[in-house]
Amino acid sequence: MSEQDASGKRRWTMIVDLDKCSGCGACVVACHAENNVPIAAEDQVVADRSQHWMRIERYWEGEYPDVKARFVPVLCQHCGEAPCEPVCPVYATYHDERGGLNAMIYARCVGTRYCANNCPYRVRFFNYFDPVFAEPLNNQLNPDVTVRSAGVMEKCTFCVQRIRRAEHTAKVEGRTLADGEVLPACVQACPTGALMFGDRYDAASAVAKLLEHNGRAVRLLETLGTDPSIYYLKGGTSHVD
Amino acid sequence: MKISRRDFIKVSIAGAASTVLVGCQPNQRYVELEPYVVPPEEAVAGQATWYATTCGMTPAGNGIIVRVMNGRAVKIEGNPEHPLNRGKLDALGQAGLQLLYHPDRLHGPVVQETPGRREFKPLHWNEAVNILAENVKRAGAGLAIWAGLTTSGHLVDLFKRFAKATDAPAPVFYDLYAALHSYDALASACGGALPTYDIRRADLVFAFGDFLGSGPNPVYYGVQFGAFRGQALGKRGYLAQFEPRMSITGAVADRWVPVKPGHEALAAGAMARIIAEEGFGGAERAARAGELAPEVDVAAVAEACDLEAEALVKLARAFAEAANPVAIPGGAPAGADNGVEATKAVQILNAIAGVGPLAPGVIPPGITPTTPSTFAEAQALIEKMQNGEVQTLLVYGANPVYELPEAAGFRQALNKVETVVSFSPIIDETAAWAHMVLPERTYLEGWGYRVVTANTGRTIISSRQPVVVPFYQDEATGPAYSTGDVLLTIARGIPDAIAALPWTDEVAYLKQMVGALPAGAYGGSDPDTRWARYLQHGGWWPAEDAEPAASIMELAPVKVKAAASQGEANEYPLYLHVYTPVMLGDGRGASLPWLQGSPDPMTTMTWRSWVEINPQTAHNMGIKDGDILKVTSPYGSIEAPAYVYPAIRPDTVAIPAGQGHLDSGRYAKNRGANVIDLLGATTDATGENLAWSNVRVKVERTGETINLPIFEDKKGAQEHLHF
Repeated sequence: MSEQDASGKRRWTMIVDLDKCSGCGACVVACHAENNVPIAAEDQVVADRSQHWMRIERYWEGEYPDVKARFVPVLCQHCGEAPCEPVCPVYATYHDERGGLNAMIYARCVGTRYCANNCPYRVRFFNYFDPVFAEPLNNQLNPDVTVRSAGVMEKCTFCVQRIRRAEHTAKVEGRTLADGEVLPACVQACPTGALMFGDRYDAASAVAKLLEHNGRAVRLLETLGTDPSIYYLKGGTSHVD
Repeated sequence: MKISRRDFIKVSIAGAASTVLVGCQPNQRYVELEPYVVPPEEAVAGQATWYATTCGMTPAGNGIIVRVMNGRAVKIEGNPEHPLNRGKLDALGQAGLQLLYHPDRLHGPVVQETPGRREFKPLHWNEAVNILAENVKRAGAGLAIWAGLTTSGHLVDLFKRFAKATDAPAPVFYDLYAALHSYDALASACGGALPTYDIRRADLVFAFGDFLGSGPNPVYYGVQFGAFRGQALGKRGYLAQFEPRMSITGAVADRWVPVKPGHEALAAGAMARIIAEEGFGGAERAARAGELAPEVDVAAVAEACDLEAEALVKLARAFAEAANPVAIPGGAPAGADNGVEATKAVQILNAIAGVGPLAPGVIPPGITPTTPSTFAEAQALIEKMQNGEVQTLLVYGANPVYELPEAAGFRQALNKVETVVSFSPIIDETAAWAHMVLPERTYLEGWGYRVVTANTGRTIISSRQPVVVPFYQDEATGPAYSTGDVLLTIARGIPDAIAALPWTDEVAYLKQMVGALPAGAYGGSDPDTRWARYLQHGGWWPAEDAEPAASIMELAPVKVKAAASQGEANEYPLYLHVYTPVMLGDGRGASLPWLQGSPDPMTTMTWRSWVEINPQTAHNMGIKDGDILKVTSPYGSIEAPAYVYPAIRPDTVAIPAGQGHLDSGRYAKNRGANVIDLLGATTDATGENLAWSNVRVKVERTGETINLPIFEDKKGAQEHLHF
């Protein structure tokens, strides 16, 4: 896992420790705030048109009284072999070779929705209407992030604006980007520290170290060969039975 | 002399204010919003400025930093230096931006002739303050103050000083957050302080209520929980959760124990007894258990709790044999008629293990914590109102019309009060029944501090400062007054009050109190430096000790009985489990679209109230998802759709609080049902605290069905994902 890339490329990677995730939803709201993700009204939620770049999936296991709920935070998996990329007819969704991000150019998107169709993780969201931020709620908008208009597909960017800003600051200060300097909004907010973020190609980074020989690490639908950038650490076992 | 634009604004504001009230310049402490040609000196185009302040969405007092760009607040994050939440923040705290920029915020003071009509007319700030001053002066000892637990410490002190100076009754600090987290019962069971534990190095936790999604300190415990679960191999913390309906804490627990409602403390008592009888955990722990745990018939208790006796033995053994076990009280048991006893029964487990709650910090002179009142104190004030002893009522940071059960009589008592004044920034249910509303600035535009309610072994004073200029400064209503400045201004017209409140404005008060603090973690040799560092770092606290001090509990054996139910079992066959949901909290989140529209983690529900019901119970009653149910208690009834919930006892239904607003802005209004309508105003056995968790209900189908606004796809619900 500690593949060192000589060309200076990065592979931005997130680790989700399912043993620590309490499902509190702090990441969900953090993402809405950081990325100007609109909130769907009730009728739109019913019509399956809500948009949450980050969501908490909750799975039930067993039946009462031996029932268990498991939380799985799901966001764009930033696949190395992303099924959404080759199907875009206008090259709006593409692979960012610099950081391994699965990126979107909103201005190019013509709304075919092929990418959402082809995404096995259901993490791409279509703007059926122009988003509404009733005045003066528009003041809350993050000036670093575009507000997407009707007809455009959107999804998690790993907070690319934060990555670019940190890279720029490091460049201006004449140094390399330090591990832990970039935190997407969800990772920053997570109270339990269930979310971690870093460059897996940097063998010294916390994520690379954690993933080395980690028997708990799995990726979602790995068998599809999508090579996701998000690793989930399975729940731990305890000393009490 | 060159007059800059900033000076000009200051001068013109001062001029406007001094036309009526002497010496009050409510805006002089702000850096004004500037056009780009004359940017404020700390602002660099394209670069954010971060200001440290304190969250006002919950009473916890989490430290926050706010990203401000071009004079606009665009993001709230946890303050990494803050010793309570250590850079982390919950959903509620992050959504506070939408309170600042809420489209239904009042632009200035309003009055209405007939309370409840909601026909408000705008008023100039100076006029409003003058009217209030006259009313307060006329009321004299007939003044009453009702405030919520998010109220800044400086206002708590000013309110108290004001009440004392005018011989008015002591202000009441009570809100739904305090009620549904049983602040009163927890404090009375634990020597007056809210019990807080250090679980970072615990290897086993038994919890009797949700502490990660709600409770007095969810973010603090969230940070601690990460460390608890992240301990080295073999030491990973084990969590067992005792509750009738699985909360998010129950979901992440290693074991969820669905105890019969009202019997949680019995289970705790039985486990303590088992430790004594079986000699688990070594001689010392077994001996302490022998002293503190009264004799019980374990098999009978297990049956009453609807648990296997064997399971209790196993759990008792795990607790006694753990190196650092902790039991966290709270939740529904603390809100029953025997809440104080139930809390003590849980504390006995800690006493057996030799763990005490963290010690409360010493409050320095001049600093005022926001100490919650008991429900009995709140009711005493309502009684005064009913008796016509209150002429002017000030309601600040609380919404008692929405938050209190109908039986408490607050709404009716308002009719007997000559002048009701609300300070709510949005017309909420209480403001709708007020004669006058003087909208307070939101916490992101205001000054103050909060003494953190968690006892973490040291005092944490979390500072509050404006991160942006007050958003509404309409010409028609004049420059806005903060409530602190309103109080100080009207005190000038009352001879008894002026000596008690001699400050020119609230910032002068705050500077005096903060400047007098001893040097804390950030030092500072003179008052000005200490004030600057207090604002810069987000507050004042002593340097961290390696090990936070724990306090010693003096406990006597507690023979706890099952909670008595409100409502007869034959008429009301189901237990009602009320809880504060992760997103909406006690209802403060309901006015904000980010919280209304973000899915509840357990149900993925948005924008609605719902009734959680066990699949078997639902099947027996022919209830399916989305069926509108009528839930009736001895006190009232509400309607909400069913959500079939696999992790709830078959004899229990759960309903989240927070919805059912009649006002509180466009996003909250006429949405869902208020579960408080099902509660009575019954106090517990001590007569002091609200018994809110032991109500029984009956459930009927109305015949109506809706499509639930849920984010999950229930079609695939039969398939399980295994990790």
